[in-house]
Amino acid sequence: MLQFMAAGAFAARFPGFRKWQFVCQQEAERGAQIRPAAYTPRFFTTAEYAALERLTELIIPSDDTPGAKEAGVAEFIDFMVSSDPSIQDDFRHGLAWLDGDARRLHQKPFVELNAAAQTALLRSLAYSDQKLPGDESGRRFFHLVRHYTVMGYYTTRIGLEQLDCPSLKSYSESPGCPHVDDPEHRRLSPA
Amino acid sequence: MSQETFDVIVIGTGAGGGMALRTLCEAGLKVCALNAGRRLTPSRDFRNHRMPWDMKYRAFGDPKKLAQSYGYMDNEYTQGIWEHEIIYTTAPGTEWMWPRCFAVGGKTNFWGRSSARFGDIDFRAASLDGYDVDWPVTYEEIAPYYTRVEKMIGVASTVQNRPSNPDGEYLPPFNFRCLDRILESGARKIGVPYLPDRIAQLTRNHNGHPACHFCGNCTEGCDTGSFFSTPWFFLPSAEKSGHLDLRPNALVRQILVDNDGRAQGVAYIDRTTRKDLEVRGRAIVVAASSVESARIMLNSKSRHWPTGIANSSGQLGRNLCDHMYGTAARGYLPQLLGAPSFPDNVSASTIAWMPRWQNLRNPREEKFIRGYSVYPDGGCGDFPWYFDQIEGFGSEFKKTIKRRYPTPVNFTMQAPALRSDTNYVDIDPEVKDAYGIPAARIHFQWDPNTLLMWEHAKQACKDVLKAAGGEYLGAADRPEPPGYSLHETGTCRMGNDPKKFVTNRFGQTHDVSNLFVCDASVFLNCTDKTTTISILTFALRSAEHLIERFRSGNV
Repeated sequence: MLQFMAAGAFAARFPGFRKWQFVCQQEAERGAQIRPAAYTPRFFTTAEYAALERLTELIIPSDDTPGAKEAGVAEFIDFMVSSDPSIQDDFRHGLAWLDGDARRLHQKPFVELNAAAQTALLRSLAYSDQKLPGDESGRRFFHLVRHYTVMGYYTTRIGLEQLDCPSLKSYSESPGCPHVDDPEHRRLSPA
Repeated sequence: MSQETFDVIVIGTGAGGGMALRTLCEAGLKVCALNAGRRLTPSRDFRNHRMPWDMKYRAFGDPKKLAQSYGYMDNEYTQGIWEHEIIYTTAPGTEWMWPRCFAVGGKTNFWGRSSARFGDIDFRAASLDGYDVDWPVTYEEIAPYYTRVEKMIGVASTVQNRPSNPDGEYLPPFNFRCLDRILESGARKIGVPYLPDRIAQLTRNHNGHPACHFCGNCTEGCDTGSFFSTPWFFLPSAEKSGHLDLRPNALVRQILVDNDGRAQGVAYIDRTTRKDLEVRGRAIVVAASSVESARIMLNSKSRHWPTGIANSSGQLGRNLCDHMYGTAARGYLPQLLGAPSFPDNVSASTIAWMPRWQNLRNPREEKFIRGYSVYPDGGCGDFPWYFDQIEGFGSEFKKTIKRRYPTPVNFTMQAPALRSDTNYVDIDPEVKDAYGIPAARIHFQWDPNTLLMWEHAKQACKDVLKAAGGEYLGAADRPEPPGYSLHETGTCRMGNDPKKFVTNRFGQTHDVSNLFVCDASVFLNCTDKTTTISILTFALRSAEHLIERFRSGNV
């Protein structure tokens, strides 16, 4: 807050700065828009979308901080896939592969598996030391979904706040390293 | 249509054209400035304060348009600013990746801001190592112009006493971040310099321009004008003088000559009406950037100049140089795992540099001649790009992304190409742009010397990272393609011999005394330093030389 008050003192003298404050305010208001309760997918079928949304929740779960669900990641992916014909088949075939694999192992579609079964299925796709033969296309699909989930999550306020991204603040001085006596940073508190 | 004759027509409004028009207007000369693109409105066109969620594609850009993109700078923050309509071509075998900003102010709207002076180690490089020729100037005569430019634009740095890098007059530097202090410790152990960069970004209010507010999106344009650009620093005083007629969307077709072969005007197209127009001037300054300046001059054919204006040497368009960029090393600093996030991205680029340390005691100490510089960077950024280095999913994946957030580092090498007969610009015999103007065609390959620097830099940066206790994760498979750096130089090189050089030591063409070149076209090569501050410096000197000629009635 102090930084914004300091910025206000400049504003009277520099027209550009005043504009910047105006822009910041506009964008803050726009960011606060309310999401509609029910979402109708643009590209995916309802069943595909349910599986996709579940995947994003497994990849970036809601735990002690909000996850992909709160950040609306599945909606973002649906929008991006609807905008990009070059990845539409990969998503559609991948979701079909996933359901096929779930039915092969458990005689149920992926969304109907319990969380433990879903996680077990993904582990073989996610970790190189747990991979199963013949899962190559499944692994490619998992990494595609993971890529878009990360894209969708860490471009929301929720995701960037989780990182405490410095772009969410402004500074009045060029910030310097505070560890004056420890140039090699050998003595930072263990993480 | 007015038949007014201006004192000077300036073609281009980037660093060189901007400096020329400002200096000429302030001296009372009537200037018409032609600029191929539109004028930007900072509050509308600069989206540097938008967050990703404010943009339709979250800053990743419209996937359907990415294929037509010129690369990394042509993104959703800057859409509509980069030039797509005015095309260029490449010769078979030439790869040239080249985002161009034709808006008023050109690349100064988005430049990287690193601002090191050239020195005698650059001007006299040929005498030191025997390759090519020396510049026709000495550091002693150029230094006062550098000082004036630094005072004008504000450069933050420290006095460093490096043999490769003359010091200047600086604003207080950017403070080193945690990652800089760690890497600096490693560099010191193996004898590589790691110092505050020279960055034209205001750490204090300066000449009526507000200090930086450290938002970190500088290469998306600055809406407070806290780093140098022509629109923020030069246009206000030039327009206030009442001597400037700035014409945006004016795409130059050719320079017109009189019966004696002297420049007398410029033919251009108004891109908004598609009408052909002409403007007359007593002198002409070309500052459209190396490739476009060469294109304009090569396209300016006449009875007197059958191969392009001021090309009796045959050197117009030749000697194209560029900086090779590449990620020479990347990794992360385990010391910072789990540390609180820190505003590492406040300048969007160059807080620190590793200025040239090779071939200083002996110009042929290494397997290559000359030298390169490195820009280290990293830390908390706008997006956790390192996520693909982490396996898995779930809470552990999310926590690891957070833990790694302050730790990533990368080293960008900046290495100069050597002048070569095979690197040049000519006019494509078949392809024309949307207005019927023949397109520039680029011929360019990296030379073996530059590729040796790339190999050297990969090892050196790996060594620095490891000495700093960092985890090394590799280097890019290959350097970036030519064009990427936007540091092209050398199509109208300056020299004393009219048979070998297009321009003299003041950027005045040898053949046409009222035609000046005020951009990096006049540079003998690109050196290991960035180009903008030297463009400003040489343009200031050229503009004042032209003013002197007006005063003595000798244009």
